[in-house]
Amino acid sequence: MLSTIQNTDVKQKDADRAVVVAVTTRAVFESGDGDGVYGMGVAFPLLQALQRVNQRLLEENPAESLLFDVVLITTDSQQQQQSSRIISSTRHHGLEIGRFCFSSQEDFIESLLKNNVQLFLSTDRNEALQASQKGVLSAVLDRQVAPSEQLRVMLCGDAVVRPDTGPVPASQQAAQSFSARLGEMRRRFSMLDSPLSIVLVTSSGGRESCGVALRTLRSRGLSVDEAYCLAGAPRSPILSVLRPHFLLSDGVID
Amino acid sequence: MCEVKPNDSAPTEDGGEEKDWTAAKAFFDNLKTNKPRPPKPRYAVTIAVSSRTLFNMVAERKIYEDEGLEKYVAYQVEHEEEPLKPGAAFPFVKALMDVNCRLRKLYPDSEELFDIILMTNNHAQVGVRLINSINHYDLTIERFCMTGGKSPIGYLKAYMTNLYLSKDSDNVGEAIEEGIAAATMFTQEMDSELSTTELRVAFDGDAVLFSDESEIIVKQQGLDSFFEHEKEFENKPLAQGPLKCFLEALGKLQRKFYAKNERMNCPIRTYLVTARSAASSGARVLKTLRNWGLEIDEALFLAGAPKGPLLQKIKPHIYFDDQMFHIEGARELGTISAHVPYGIGQKYHKGKLIEQPAKEK
Repeated sequence: MLSTIQNTDVKQKDADRAVVVAVTTRAVFESGDGDGVYGMGVAFPLLQALQRVNQRLLEENPAESLLFDVVLITTDSQQQQQSSRIISSTRHHGLEIGRFCFSSQEDFIESLLKNNVQLFLSTDRNEALQASQKGVLSAVLDRQVAPSEQLRVMLCGDAVVRPDTGPVPASQQAAQSFSARLGEMRRRFSMLDSPLSIVLVTSSGGRESCGVALRTLRSRGLSVDEAYCLAGAPRSPILSVLRPHFLLSDGVID
Repeated sequence: MCEVKPNDSAPTEDGGEEKDWTAAKAFFDNLKTNKPRPPKPRYAVTIAVSSRTLFNMVAERKIYEDEGLEKYVAYQVEHEEEPLKPGAAFPFVKALMDVNCRLRKLYPDSEELFDIILMTNNHAQVGVRLINSINHYDLTIERFCMTGGKSPIGYLKAYMTNLYLSKDSDNVGEAIEEGIAAATMFTQEMDSELSTTELRVAFDGDAVLFSDESEIIVKQQGLDSFFEHEKEFENKPLAQGPLKCFLEALGKLQRKFYAKNERMNCPIRTYLVTARSAASSGARVLKTLRNWGLEIDEALFLAGAPKGPLLQKIKPHIYFDDQMFHIEGARELGTISAHVPYGIGQKYHKGKLIEQPAKEK
């Protein structure tokens, strides 16, 4: 059974213009024992970074409608039953969450689609895969990398450019449209001192692959800030310096 | 000794790394152009060059300084189809590529090669012009970090960098403090008569290959004390300086040529150019090198004579010195020089102590 509850503590975003980001309850809150308020989970720093971007966007323009609209989504029945605890924990931590979507394992994807979610973030790889297969841009939240104040979105460039054969798969369409919105949001800020940084990483191709990815993203309206071409070099030492909040691979989870 | 790269007994990479490596190998193997693929970082001698040392970006830099970042990036994007002109590190990079060619012929399956990476603070949009320029000269630079203003130090470490060249003395200073061999380069007129068969690297001794312990004695107690001290401690090896590990890395590659009977044709040649004199203070230096198991091809003891004319004859692809006085003298006569901001020499100019303004906190 699906249900959506609006968070009355938070001003609702413009449904047409906002970028809807769904994060799973499991990612945001640490389950722990007892009945009290939940502790902070893996996605906490991410939510704070998203909030900072919104704050800065409103500082630039108080009437800004291109904002992140964060929804908290449960993906199994067990979480679904904890609804009041989830809502009170959100309130307790002062999180800028617009809506709570309660669903089960069988229908959480339907919930994502109904709520026009443009990016789905989960600590569970299978959930992300399932959502991606149904055309929702998804990413797995990585527990290991300690994130920064600035929202750092990492794009994996090896998948950015595909041969132009056949129809574009739904997940790739979702990725492209998200990139364009992100690009528009990024343009609200100057090059220095931006609360949002777009990072491109290519893992296996040479410099030309990265160059092509840069130009392709540019043509889709996304101007990348930082670019790293690994050409086969080990990824994890670089990632631990890069500290992205999440990695997008153009709709394909690898 | 030099711990830039993990030793062979270190555990091999995890499955994810192997996957990336295999994918990269497949990518390059499938290219029609026969472009060589970059070596595995843990086995390679990694040289990181900044965009302003690789290319001449003086005019663009001026736009950045006069008109700000946004205008600078817009200018670069507007001109991105125009290749940049070569910079101070360009001949050095070409010479590294030539050594790699020779190594690949002798050891087709080895990963012990030079790995040249572009390490720049530039914004990624400027990167398109940089990539186009690298393409134009067909340089074998496949790896890069364009940090969009953030410090490169973390990435230098992540790549296990053996040598970092930049025009930004702050970045270079920070790298040296983190134990990475680094030097600041300067714009200069390009000498077209550099060797095309031999990579020539020249080093000053004190505070470059060796620590500045003896240099301190010269500066604070004078030359006579220095000579006495060096004679007394002739058999005690000097402590290592910031570029010692780079010399060691070069030596490792040289030995690969010797092993194939190519000593007479070795395409790497190293020089020590020191103000010490052979008769007195020189012995300690040679004994230290021997103690370290390092060879240097030519040791030139100038006994205080100017280094410029000698360097002019050697024509190194790069010359490392810790004292700006010597760097300036070398550059005046056309030598490609790189300043190593390390040790007591930074506090002096032409023998006199520089009054340091109080540092702002």
